[in-house]
Amino acid sequence: MSLPPALRASVTPPELELIACQELVEIIPLIAMEKTAFISGAYGPLRPPHRAQIPIWMAVNLKQKKKCHILAPAWLTVDYLQEKLVHETTQAEFTKLPFRFAEISRVLLDVASDDLQSPDKLRTLLKDLREARQAKARAGLESLEHSTLGLSNLSAMEINEIRPFFIKAMSVLGQLRPGE
Amino acid sequence: MSDVHSWEAEYSGATSHAASGPSMPPARAPASRQNDQPMPDVRINEQKEPPPEETPLEKLTRHWMNERHAPDILPAQDRLLSSLLDHIRRQSDTIQLLRGDPSSSEEDHIRIMLAQTEVERVKFIVRSYVRTRLFKIENYARYIIANEVVQRRITAAERDYASRHAHLIDRHFYSSVLQSLPESQAGLDDVPSFIMPPMITEPETTRAVFAHARKDTIARTPEGKTVDLAQGSLTLLSFAAVADLVASGDVELV
Repeated sequence: MSLPPALRASVTPPELELIACQELVEIIPLIAMEKTAFISGAYGPLRPPHRAQIPIWMAVNLKQKKKCHILAPAWLTVDYLQEKLVHETTQAEFTKLPFRFAEISRVLLDVASDDLQSPDKLRTLLKDLREARQAKARAGLESLEHSTLGLSNLSAMEINEIRPFFIKAMSVLGQLRPGE
Repeated sequence: MSDVHSWEAEYSGATSHAASGPSMPPARAPASRQNDQPMPDVRINEQKEPPPEETPLEKLTRHWMNERHAPDILPAQDRLLSSLLDHIRRQSDTIQLLRGDPSSSEEDHIRIMLAQTEVERVKFIVRSYVRTRLFKIENYARYIIANEVVQRRITAAERDYASRHAHLIDRHFYSSVLQSLPESQAGLDDVPSFIMPPMITEPETTRAVFAHARKDTIARTPEGKTVDLAQGSLTLLSFAAVADLVASGDVELV
C-alpha cells in the first residue's frame, strides 16, 4: 500500500518531530568544522569556544557524540515557562508559545538535559502547561460549529492531538445542519 | 584531496551565489541551474524579519504537510521535487567521493556523517510526499480520469498511473463480479439513487482542515460566507474554502 492506514488520518508525532528538528538552535561546539554546504543550507564554521547556529537534528547528533553543548532557546527556561503558565491558567485564550515547542522541548530534554538548567522543573512546567492547554482545547469543543473555528496559538502537537475528533465532529455537525 | 576540493567548490559556488544579493530574488537565471541551491546563510541574520526566504527543503516540507492534510490531491510540485532530487544526488555523490578518500580527517568523518544523515532525512520527506500523492491517485483513480480539472494538477506520469490503476480495478471488478450481473447493473458510474453513496470514490472536499495563514487573506466558505484569516492565525474550516489559498501558498495546512 502506498500509504499505511495508520498514516492516512493524520501526521504522526515522530513526523512532527522530524519537521521540528529542522529549526535552528545555538550550540557551543567542542569540535572544529569548516563551513559546510548541506541541503537545507550552509552551516558552520564551528570554532570551539564560539557559539554557532545549526539545525536541531545536527545538534542532537553531535550532542550524542559529546561533541557540543546545546544552549536552550530563550523560551525553554524556568522563568519564561512559569510566566506562561500563570498566563495560561488566568487568561481565557491560549498563550503564545513557539509553534513546535512540544517537539523541541521533548527532544532537548531527552538528549541534552545536562545542558539545561533544572530540567526536572522544566518537565513539570511543560506538563502543567500541556494539561492546562488540553483542558482549554476540550472546553473549546463547545464553541464548535459546522463552518469555522478560530484556534490561534495552538501548537503543532496539540492540533495533531485534537484533529481526528474535531474534524469528525465538524463533519457530523455539517450533516445535521438543515439543507438550504 | 581532489575530493575534498569538490565539496569546497560546491560550497564556494553556493556562497558566491548567495553573496550576489542579500535579497536573493527568485530569478530564474540560467546560471542557477548548475547551483540551484543558493545556500541562504543570510537567513541566520535575517531570521527576525517577517517572512524569511523559504529554502527548497522548507517548501517541500510545507507541500508534504499540505498534501497529507488535504482531502483532495494538490497541484504537483514536480520542478521543486526534481531540483531537490538533483541536490540529493549531488550531495550523495560528494559523500561517496569523500568516503573513498583514505586521507580524510576526523573532522571530515563528522561532516560526512552529518551530510549522510541529512540526505536520509530529506529522502524520507520526498518519499512520504510521493507516497501520499500515490495513495490519493490510487484511491481516486476513476474520479481523476473522468475529471479534467484534476488532471491539470497532476504530472503526466501520475495521469498515466491513474488510468492504468483505474483499468486494472475495472478489469478486476468485471471478471470477479460484474460479468455475472445483468447488464443494466454492471456499470460503475451509474447515477446513484438517493440513498446509496456513489461507487466512484471522490475526495471529500468539505472535510475540515486546520489552516494556518502565511499572510493576511480571505477565505470563502462553500456557503458563501467570508472568513478573514490574519497572518499567523489558525482556523479550522472546510478544505473547499481554502483550496485555492493552499495552492497559491497563502495558507498552509498544519
